[in-house]
Amino acid sequence: MLDFLQIVVNGIAVGSSYALMGLAMVIIYKTSEVPNFAQGEMALISTYFAYMLIEYHGLPYYVAFPAALIFSAVLGCILEFAVLRRAKEPNILGMIVITIGMEMVLLGLVSWKFGADPKTMAFPILPYDSIALGKIYISTLEVLTLVVVLFLTGALFLFFRFSKLGLAMKATQQNSTAARLMGIRTHRILMVTWGISSFVGCTAGLLIAPVAMQPFMMWDPLLKGFAAAVMGGMTSLPGAVIGAYLLGIIENLFGGYVSIEFKSVVAFLIIVMVLCVKPSGLFARHYVKKV
Amino acid sequence: MKKRQLWVVLAVMVMVIGFAFGAVAEEGVTDTEIHIGQWGPQTGPAAAWGSVARGTAVYFKMINAAGGIHGRKIVYHMFDDGYNPAKTMAGVKELQEGVGIFAWASGVGTAPGMAVRKYLMERKVPWVGAASGSHYWITPPEKYQFATYPLYFNEAMALVAYAVNNLGSKKIAMAYQNDGYGKNGLEGAENMLKRHGLELVAKVPVEVKDKDMKSHVMKMKQAGADTVLLWVSPTHGLTIMGTAKAMQFAPQWMSTSTLSDFPFMYKISKGLWQGVITGSFAELPDSKNPLMKKYKKAYEKYAAKEERWGVFFYAGFGFIEPMVEALHRSGRDLTRERFVKEMEGIRNFKGIMGTINFKPFDPKDPSSRLGTNEVFLVKCLADGKYEVLTSWLTVK
Amino acid sequence: MDMKRDYYEDLQLFSSGVIFFWFTVLIIFLAVFPFLVKNYYVYVANFMAINIIVALGLNILVGYTGQISLGHAGFFAIGAYGTIVLMTRAGLPFLLALPVSGLIASLFGFLLGLPALRLKGPYLVIATLGFGLTITQIIGRLEFFGGRDGLHAPELTIGPWHLNSDRHFYYLLITITVLMTVAARNLIKTKVGRAFIAIRDADIAAETMGVNLVLYKTLAFALSAFYAGIAGGLYAFVLRFIEPEIFTLMMSIMFLAMIVVGGLGSIMGSIAGAGLLSWMDLQLRNILSIPYLGEWLENFSRSYFSTTGISNIQFIVFGSIMILIMLFEPLGIYGIWIRIKKYWKTWPF
Repeated sequence: MLDFLQIVVNGIAVGSSYALMGLAMVIIYKTSEVPNFAQGEMALISTYFAYMLIEYHGLPYYVAFPAALIFSAVLGCILEFAVLRRAKEPNILGMIVITIGMEMVLLGLVSWKFGADPKTMAFPILPYDSIALGKIYISTLEVLTLVVVLFLTGALFLFFRFSKLGLAMKATQQNSTAARLMGIRTHRILMVTWGISSFVGCTAGLLIAPVAMQPFMMWDPLLKGFAAAVMGGMTSLPGAVIGAYLLGIIENLFGGYVSIEFKSVVAFLIIVMVLCVKPSGLFARHYVKKV
Repeated sequence: MKKRQLWVVLAVMVMVIGFAFGAVAEEGVTDTEIHIGQWGPQTGPAAAWGSVARGTAVYFKMINAAGGIHGRKIVYHMFDDGYNPAKTMAGVKELQEGVGIFAWASGVGTAPGMAVRKYLMERKVPWVGAASGSHYWITPPEKYQFATYPLYFNEAMALVAYAVNNLGSKKIAMAYQNDGYGKNGLEGAENMLKRHGLELVAKVPVEVKDKDMKSHVMKMKQAGADTVLLWVSPTHGLTIMGTAKAMQFAPQWMSTSTLSDFPFMYKISKGLWQGVITGSFAELPDSKNPLMKKYKKAYEKYAAKEERWGVFFYAGFGFIEPMVEALHRSGRDLTRERFVKEMEGIRNFKGIMGTINFKPFDPKDPSSRLGTNEVFLVKCLADGKYEVLTSWLTVK
Repeated sequence: MDMKRDYYEDLQLFSSGVIFFWFTVLIIFLAVFPFLVKNYYVYVANFMAINIIVALGLNILVGYTGQISLGHAGFFAIGAYGTIVLMTRAGLPFLLALPVSGLIASLFGFLLGLPALRLKGPYLVIATLGFGLTITQIIGRLEFFGGRDGLHAPELTIGPWHLNSDRHFYYLLITITVLMTVAARNLIKTKVGRAFIAIRDADIAAETMGVNLVLYKTLAFALSAFYAGIAGGLYAFVLRFIEPEIFTLMMSIMFLAMIVVGGLGSIMGSIAGAGLLSWMDLQLRNILSIPYLGEWLENFSRSYFSTTGISNIQFIVFGSIMILIMLFEPLGIYGIWIRIKKYWKTWPF
């Protein structure tokens, strides 16, 4: 029983980083219907930016981290403005390939500048300390990540539901022509979306980096985050978060009781099964196309 | 009709030129140059091992600055294969058939190496010092391939023997990368444990792509392991130890020479690495060995400023020391056959790795193509300092 | 000139003598190509041809039927392993083992097509992606397939010919590629092809018109997987050694990028995209040996970046080229070709 609880706690701890990446992907997908494959690398370059400030320029982390978050938001805006918006007659697949291209460019830039050696980020709390709940352990970094996830989910949820900008985003997603006619600057909305999404991704990067950072560190969280978002419904923020925690728990239960080797892939099998039953994910309303 | 003749003539010419090159002089050797090639991942997930190929580059620069080998300079062709066998094959073919490579040095990776092995062996191109200790390079032994990296199998045996005999470990668990690298180590560990009438209490496969190591640590913790052997990549090692620390699981950690770069590991693990015992196949970074000092000078002179003086940088020197020795011994009259003969004549050769011995080729004897099986064990102290636990040893 | 006046004209393989002429020239060029270049370029050509076969198949699925797959490395792996295992364990000759493993791949394609009936967009992406990852994991687990140690391809002999050098294998490969290309082109002109296109454009409308969605969607997956399987089987003999780690997600992503960059829903696009991307994949590592540019890049890295990571420039170039093509021409290389053709048609007006 103790083991079971520990495994569940582990699953939740792991799910947090998936949740952040999932959230980031959902934000972009909600407004532009593009699964953004560059999400991980946008977070990567922002994280390395913080690393650069700390290691090369000797800034303390309380300057470097906010700077990296701002950098990531600006980067998101710039990428949307300078690259995606320039696409002529965009179609979804073309957009996906553009994000794949951006992924390669960003990854190339990071590896070019910093090399491939693993590094670790200076961080206010040691990532190996843990809190004990009875005999169940969870590391302080994971608790922090969990808090960040809950806070961001809440904030984003409220933002999308109640703020003017959030409503405008919703309108853009539902019918961008009508939104434009209503006086919403849909281009600008898209740009802001990318900024917010990149910001959320960057928090994931910053929270992963204290243990080990290297140029490929965001691949796994991105894939799992994407998978989790799909399971949750791809358009629902709470859905993505719940999906992420489910994924983390399922993975760890499977790894704990059945097979570690298939731990990572079983998540995908379960998602396929979920999708067979609910083709639009667990928490999105199934959208039936009108003819 | 005329056109057809033209084609026939052209085809014949191509063939003649193609064959002629082989007959006139040894491929890759001119009056002033010896062409040596190497592949190494400079990009992609395995790029951290790319330092081997860059180390070799510095080694050759050092040799050339000292006048080369019998008046010939070494021309070093290194290319990036991104750990993708298709690209390794492409690069090897391009260089072998375009430039003409006399011999190949080191080369990181099992899959890339396996993809080109047959090609090189069929063409009778020597290949010295593949940069991994898997048994693929000597099963079956090939006349033109020489391995200089001690087998992971034997290294694991040495580590387990030390754990059982000197540390009194009873419950040993192992986390191994789920590929040739990890499985070679696993076999060695199990083999040695069997001799002591023990078994691994937990063996946990680690997928290269996985990031989350919690289930892995849980398994080993549940098994109550007092010693854990890590046969994984540095980042996985880091994650496993960090996760274990957070779960208050503190066994004696042991690991392979791949993770023996203590100053580096200590730094990136924020001190977690203290107390880890690993094998080592080469002298330590702070060694007083005169050869090591010489190499370090070359590193300071020729290496890029971001280059780290780590094990897998100077391993780029160490893996091919016997190759350079054999090139020296071959004299002016350098051919591949002569080179292989000189390689086979290497006995009790001591560079910065274990003592290297080769034997005349025997297809039934893998050790005729395995230069050394010697490792020694070290322990990580505070600030990434080394404590040497054993002298060079071979566990059979 | 481009107007089709009747159905039979649409069915013709060569719409005019000019095209037939150029086709013949192409075939002759392909036949003498190995004698004109170094062996290395024959290897590159082989590599391209394999990617072209995959791209053709993937384009049937993505470009013509409007589905999406990020799991084609899985089918590719099934083809590669299937061919080698059937030859070494079951003793089948290559010419039989290859199509059989293609069929096995297409069976898996059919199975993957079943959940795909209900899935769209990112949901389908994740489902196919999961398939690709799972397949290599399973293969790696089974000792029968060599596990993580991988498998060596056996010697290849067809009748009196030993096809173990790049040049010899080239002829087999090119023959298969040309056949597969013609087959794909013809397929699109048939009822099946038109059903695919109808599904892509509006699946509900297609269904009301009597197109059996279940049949044709799974058929598209199966066909596409067949192409990937055949290509995989051939790849095993170009590389002569396979192991599960070769068939990565990155490979699937590259396959998809090939057809999108080349041009969706176009045979020529598949060929151009696969050719360009596989060429870049193999050749960009030499970017630093370009005179002047290489030296400049090295100095530039020394001052602003790092020389140890300099090889990563190839990713930057690769990504940028992909982005630029997609930004300026949503139809990819095929779109550029159409524009050039249009321009010259009315030239000089």
